[in-house]
Amino acid sequence: MAGHSRREFLWETGAGFTGTALTWLLSQSGFFANAAEVSPLAPKKPHFAAKAKSCIFLFMYGGPSQVDTWDPKPTLNKYHGEPMPNLESDPLLKVRKPGTLLGSTRKFKRYGQSGIEVSDLYPVLGERIDDIALIRGTWADSFAHGSGLLQMNTGFIRQGYPSLGSWMAYGLGTENQNLPAFVVLLDHRGGPISGPPNWSSGFMPAAYQGTQFRTAGDPVLFLEPPKGTTREEQRDQLNLLAKLHQLRGPAGPENSELNARIASYELAFRMQTAAPEAVDLSKESEATRKLYGIDNERTEKFGKKCLIARRLIERGVRFVQLYSGGGHGDDNWDAHGNVDKNHEHHCGSTDKPIAGLLDDLKSRGLLDETLIVWAGEFGRTPTSQSRTGRDHSPRGFTTWMAGGGVKGGQVIGATDDFGYAAVEGKVHVHDLHATILHLMGMNHLQLTYFHAGRNMRLTDVHGNVIERLL
Amino acid sequence: MKFLLFALAASAADFTTHVQPILEKHCTSCHGATVQMGGLDLRTPEAIRKGGSKGAALVAGAVGKSLVYARIADQTMPPGAKKVPSSEAAVIRQWIEAGATGEGKASQAAPKHWAFVAPRRNQPPRVRNAGWVRTPVDAFLLARMEASGIRPVREASKETLLRRVYLDLIGLPPSLEEQRAFAADPSPQAYDRVVEALLNRPEYGERWARHWLDLVRYAESNGYERDGAKPHAWRYRDWVIDAFNRDKPYDRFVTEQLAGDEVEGSNAETQIATTFLRLGTWDDEPAEPMLDRYDQLDDVLGVTSAALLGVTLRCARCHDHKFEPFTQKDYYRTLAVFQPLKRPQDDRKDLDRLVGTEAELAAYNKAKEKADGEVAERKQKIDRIRRDVMKRLFSAESKARRTQGLTWLDHAETVLAFATEAGRRTKEQKALVEKFNSQLDTAIEEEGTTDERSQMALLKQEVAQIDAARPKEPPRAYIWFEEGASPVATRLLVRGDPSRPGEEVEPGVPAVLGGLPEVKTTARSSGRRLALARWMTAAENPLTARVMVNRVWQWHFGEGIVPSENDFGVNGQRPANQELLDWLAVEFRESGWSMKQLHRLMVKSSAYRLSADWDESNAKKDAGGVLSWRWKPRRLEAEVVRDMTLAVSGRLNGQQSGPSIFPALPRAVLEGQSVPGSGWNTSNDEQSARRSVYIFAKRSLAVPELELLDAPDTTSSCEQRTVSTTGPQALTFLNGDFTNAQARHLAGRIGDKPASEQVRQVFRLALAREASDSEVAAGVEYLSRRPLESFALVLLNANEYFYLN
Repeated sequence: MAGHSRREFLWETGAGFTGTALTWLLSQSGFFANAAEVSPLAPKKPHFAAKAKSCIFLFMYGGPSQVDTWDPKPTLNKYHGEPMPNLESDPLLKVRKPGTLLGSTRKFKRYGQSGIEVSDLYPVLGERIDDIALIRGTWADSFAHGSGLLQMNTGFIRQGYPSLGSWMAYGLGTENQNLPAFVVLLDHRGGPISGPPNWSSGFMPAAYQGTQFRTAGDPVLFLEPPKGTTREEQRDQLNLLAKLHQLRGPAGPENSELNARIASYELAFRMQTAAPEAVDLSKESEATRKLYGIDNERTEKFGKKCLIARRLIERGVRFVQLYSGGGHGDDNWDAHGNVDKNHEHHCGSTDKPIAGLLDDLKSRGLLDETLIVWAGEFGRTPTSQSRTGRDHSPRGFTTWMAGGGVKGGQVIGATDDFGYAAVEGKVHVHDLHATILHLMGMNHLQLTYFHAGRNMRLTDVHGNVIERLL
Repeated sequence: MKFLLFALAASAADFTTHVQPILEKHCTSCHGATVQMGGLDLRTPEAIRKGGSKGAALVAGAVGKSLVYARIADQTMPPGAKKVPSSEAAVIRQWIEAGATGEGKASQAAPKHWAFVAPRRNQPPRVRNAGWVRTPVDAFLLARMEASGIRPVREASKETLLRRVYLDLIGLPPSLEEQRAFAADPSPQAYDRVVEALLNRPEYGERWARHWLDLVRYAESNGYERDGAKPHAWRYRDWVIDAFNRDKPYDRFVTEQLAGDEVEGSNAETQIATTFLRLGTWDDEPAEPMLDRYDQLDDVLGVTSAALLGVTLRCARCHDHKFEPFTQKDYYRTLAVFQPLKRPQDDRKDLDRLVGTEAELAAYNKAKEKADGEVAERKQKIDRIRRDVMKRLFSAESKARRTQGLTWLDHAETVLAFATEAGRRTKEQKALVEKFNSQLDTAIEEEGTTDERSQMALLKQEVAQIDAARPKEPPRAYIWFEEGASPVATRLLVRGDPSRPGEEVEPGVPAVLGGLPEVKTTARSSGRRLALARWMTAAENPLTARVMVNRVWQWHFGEGIVPSENDFGVNGQRPANQELLDWLAVEFRESGWSMKQLHRLMVKSSAYRLSADWDESNAKKDAGGVLSWRWKPRRLEAEVVRDMTLAVSGRLNGQQSGPSIFPALPRAVLEGQSVPGSGWNTSNDEQSARRSVYIFAKRSLAVPELELLDAPDTTSSCEQRTVSTTGPQALTFLNGDFTNAQARHLAGRIGDKPASEQVRQVFRLALAREASDSEVAAGVEYLSRRPLESFALVLLNANEYFYLN
């Protein structure tokens, strides 16, 4: 990408409407049947053939505790109440002043053909363990929510980098131009800490940033015309807009850029039908609603989001991110006070909906082409805080993937006997990202964006694809 | 090259004649006289044979073992997109196969990259059509056109030109009055007079400061989890606006931002300028404090090298630069310049500091100390009297009085709380005291003797007098500070890892660009940044002036003469017209670094006044579209669109300077925050209608009509806005609260008149021109079915409206 101005670069990657003579010549020669075809989000070929076409990222904001969910630790229970040995070995532990070891009160049970142990917090998902690849050796760099969230979303603990969804939108475009490529569904209790930088496109154009979809009211910001403006009037407005352009459109290469602007209003007009339709669950059968737990107050909210996620990827959206947990304190997974109480609530409200999503995708034949990722920004300590709670811990925690070409029913990596740090088959967030891109048909080394003198990558200068997962 | 190959077939390749020119073209900027990356020097056959860290690079007769050829052939070298053409690689191959003979002289002056050699004064070229030349800029442009057989298109209409120069120079459209006045002025000087008037308007600074704020990634919050506000960062924004308006010489402008605390006569103004160094993101709870410290320094070094020098030095943090002749050592030498800076903070709390001259600050501190002492003395006396009274109040004797309504004293805990010294009270006691304090004041007043009461009254009066006579606090500013003359040593970090310190380095600059002048350390600061500023603004600096004139060109014409505006390095783009760039750079420097003089040279040129007409035959002769024979329309920046809309609707509040504003945000936008609305103190309608440069720049929250129109990301230097066109953008301007409200105001402003007149008036206000007959017809037809505000909304969304035409 050496020696190119940003505008030219946008053109080369198909990532923007540019003012170059080439674009104009192409459009004059009928190369673009309509201007929307040069959309920054036009579908693009992956680097190599891949099963997964879209991705649903289930973000458990606040940091779920691995030792109470996916990673049983009998040794931890045995030493309950005692200080953690080798406390001095990790400066982080010294800083955070941990309490004594806190055994898990959860009962673990073997599920499925694989016989993988899952705790009683996930009785429904446990039954689907043969579809799931548990990554017990995940680790990250930050113990703080802000930078931890940024890293899980963008790869960097520093602000200003494009998020995973933006990289996918940039690399693959999207299949449905009437919907955003990258949709974010927040928890009803609020956004995550740091807010929009978590779905920002960083140094890339705004076209690649995540779009917040609301599950009540207008799904997209300013989707509906203001009160008193009918759809017919809006149609009229767009016709006049196009007419004024025709009457005085300049003749130069910028004409394609200007045509694209007119096309963007038409796209907006179509979004007004497409977006509400995508989030309208009224046509879903009673059985489907039940499958997602929408009939139950406890699981209704997250269930609806999971169902909307399925509807979005069915309609060609490339990347959907769902947040479980919002705001602060026990409104999310940040169980400093009482891990049982906190996790009973959050697991309880997501267990059935996520299982429903897996089942539904499977029965529709979509699971193979949809990658499901489950992760928080970090895990929690095996030591106690406020007697019954746990602190943040990035050193070792569990994430999982399913569908989209992932080999389920397996465990990758392991934490130490207490469940504190990853010790075997370690998977850093960069590796997770490299693997997600790989499953979507992209080589993380090749997916680059030239910025500030460097070809930037989601994985910075790191990242290894987890071969065992494939 | 075909000819050369033909010749080679007959005789073996010679190093000096055939091979050296190829290596000098592609390789020696990194493997030559100034820099030898990987220890490799490619200037002589002997040096090539010796090789570098990967071993010998040349084995005579053995192409496969000769890395100098292998790396070129497999295209790993040179890095970046520009590879050695296969015809040239073949020359090297033949030379090696034939025995790699020749000695070659190591030219000390291997041709340096053009941008690393200082520009020299040159003369504007002669042109045939001398009448077209209005400023020397035109001569440089026209000479190129004439050489290519191109004739510039005609001049833009007066209407177009007026709107163009208004939006470009002040970011606001001409008023109806100004449109009429210009149309009615037939004088050839009419346009130049408009330019002068605009350059003298305060709105000029507001418009042009925004360009600069993009470059320095200006924001008023820290980002990350708490996204805390940067106290008083807005003073820097006002400083930039003021600097543009007063035409502060650019060398001084740079110097104050880098070293306003170290310059002679350092004062509040120059110190506020150094906010530049502290505008980056800040994680108040870093995962790794040492790494975070270097991240912060890297951020400062990154913005300084990109914005002021147009180089990508930041890429050399972990290893030698892969594309440029910058070593890792160069990086850490430059980092050492900023190493002494300290962040005023109190744990997670970000602090500002008082600014002013040394004398001002000393006088203030002295006076404050004195007043504080005097006040404290009197307060102690008051406290003593109060305690005496309280003792009586809480004693058994006053029980009778308690029955008269002071029931609160019945609670032993309250009594105990009051009886306890303020500093020793528990949290609960503090709450109790707070709750009952006003009642207590009344009770003390009643219980006290006449003498006690008059004593207290007198003391209070004295305190009030002392407070009233206190000197006004100097301004506060968001800056770093240096503590003294002996900062910690800077070490090169192996792989950029703070836990792996390597050799110690002295403060400096990249070797290929020269060296720092003498660093004059004072008792208060290391003097390093002032030395850096002096080096940057010296006549022999090859980059500073070029980089800035290129930016001013870009901001006027849409694209820089060097289109990679933040990258003048080997990997950047070549200037489209280096003679012009260099002439401007020298002129800029020699005319006292005046920005306004640069504007005049560009804006008063014939090239700036061209129409956007298309010319097929010109286009064929100018494949790259770089010869400036027409005006290239471009989309306006988000802030200009918003400000223009407020001006068009008649609602613009022109209030200047001061703390930032918070226009109302839709609920849906606030919902993305973990605490919706936190850090956003919504302003009233009148304040919200001020110019966009005054909107609080919050890193985690954005105004949709700015964000969706590609306002810059504030985490790194933004030299060129992206132009993206999306559905959500259209929704925001068509359905959003802002544009709809302004459309209503615009319709209200036009009022009741015949439809054709309404259409004409909307065109004049929004597009600064008369509507054509067919436009009037289309408008009248529309108004027969829809209200005026609906028509106004369409105009505020029109393509022409969003573009600088």
